[in-house]
Amino acid sequence: MVLPRDEWLDLARKVDWTPRYVDERELFPEEISGRPWLPREAWRDWNEAYRTTYREYVANQREKDAAVLGVRAALSKPRLFDDLDPGWVQLVKFHNGAVALAEYAGAVAELRMARFGRDSAWRTMATLGALDEIRHTQIPLLIGHDLLAYDGNFDWTHKAFHTNEWVILAARHLFDDMFLAADAIDLAIQLNFVFETGFTSLQFMAMAAMADRAHHHLFEKTVASIQTDEARHSQIGHPVMRALIENGSRERAQYLIDKMWWRCWRLFLALSGTAMEYLAPVSARTRSFKEFMTEWVTEQFVKNLAEFDLEKPWFWDLFMEELDYAHHSLQLGLYTYRTTLWFDVAMPDRAERDWLNEKYPQWNETYGALWEELERRWEAGGEAGTLSYGLPALCNLCQLPALFIRPGRNTACTLEMGGRRYLFCSEPCRWIFQQETSRFAEHQSVVDRIVAGDAPGKLIDLHRWMGLQAPVETGKDLRRGLDPWRLDPIPKR
Amino acid sequence: MRLYLFGFASDDFLGRVVVTPDGRTVAQLADQLVAWGLAPERGGSLTVRNEAGDILDPAATIADSGLGNGDIFKVERG
Repeated sequence: MVLPRDEWLDLARKVDWTPRYVDERELFPEEISGRPWLPREAWRDWNEAYRTTYREYVANQREKDAAVLGVRAALSKPRLFDDLDPGWVQLVKFHNGAVALAEYAGAVAELRMARFGRDSAWRTMATLGALDEIRHTQIPLLIGHDLLAYDGNFDWTHKAFHTNEWVILAARHLFDDMFLAADAIDLAIQLNFVFETGFTSLQFMAMAAMADRAHHHLFEKTVASIQTDEARHSQIGHPVMRALIENGSRERAQYLIDKMWWRCWRLFLALSGTAMEYLAPVSARTRSFKEFMTEWVTEQFVKNLAEFDLEKPWFWDLFMEELDYAHHSLQLGLYTYRTTLWFDVAMPDRAERDWLNEKYPQWNETYGALWEELERRWEAGGEAGTLSYGLPALCNLCQLPALFIRPGRNTACTLEMGGRRYLFCSEPCRWIFQQETSRFAEHQSVVDRIVAGDAPGKLIDLHRWMGLQAPVETGKDLRRGLDPWRLDPIPKR
Repeated sequence: MRLYLFGFASDDFLGRVVVTPDGRTVAQLADQLVAWGLAPERGGSLTVRNEAGDILDPAATIADSGLGNGDIFKVERG
């Protein structure tokens, strides 16, 4: 007779042996297991809702993989691109490049918890989490590989994280901070509690809903399948948070939440906000980015905070104000610097502008004239007049251009430290930097490197430095393509 | 001496890096920033402020105005 799971699971996964040959502090060093270093009793009640066994895990994952691969097989490779909107294809390319290998880094993070988490049930869950993250890398790599035959830039699914492309550098800066250079406790709060319970449902579930309406059923199945794994292993965050709160570390927990909320917001407005409202076809948009953020992220996260009697981050009012503007501002940056991207970007057409103004009543007043000016410039002088040529001011924390919140209300600020002046796009980015200066101070933004001569200042050379082969790989205007001036050789004198 | 500064024009969407000799005037600095933006031809008055919000004398040199490497300046277009 097979015992029901709950009759044996704790016996199998609560196996915190008493070490005899080394001290427990040596087995779980504070530097990597995390601070505060609590006595083992503090972790004794660590538990989470899924309580998955390895046998169940393997069976479930097999079914999930079969479902995704079944759709892939049913569509067959020659039809992968059939009926897909061109903007949607770029959205997938953007998503794959920014996400696929970040998931692989996520496997490293889960493995760190699988070794250095202070409770064995935590370590068991993290082991399954590591397997999840490997799966989340391999599925996009497989599908990205299928798409290579149609669009060579899908090699950025694998390549992006190995380049110096500026959007990727911004993403890597965050992921290094969030989990690759974090101890097990910080990791559980930053990655599992904030990033996964707070934000990834937006990237995966909202994208799945849009993929369905965009008729991209393979992408829909993929991201929805990934999200079911995220929902499980994100549960690691709650019991770790509980242990911190119950053992006098409320202030530390609040700091990690504030810091990571802001950093994740910066990434998601760049990745999800711009993609949802400037690449997804209007017919696929179920809600606005702001509506998704409000319903799926903000409201849910505020409930999570209330569960632990934690405060909203101190910059909440600024965050709420940015919801109406920040991703629209960044889209202008992406568009005018599109030759430094691996995907194409769109100038919104009339129907899209109407949609944006309906969802954001101040959109036309704030951004409409700027897009019209770009449109006029293209008509008057071709693509060359629609590109930014000077260097953008980049934030020394989030690594994104200092273009927030909106034209006429810029929140950039500086900090003098150690003979160097740092630039930040906002007070929260400066505040995060100030809390851990030794962690961030040595980093050089792309612009810092260009100014110092460590990266090329000439655009053609900069493309190469970023891993982009111009003009084939560099981003274009989605609807207008490549202007002839980009293809014509420079006349010899 | 050459400086690099971060300029923000009120009608532009982006902070831009401006590399300039510090012997130029503040007015020339503002013109240089506006030239990178989306409406260089618009004309009108330009008011330049430092990060603290102090108005800078357009006739003063950049060095005399107190701006140094990595500083922010803001240009309000009239």
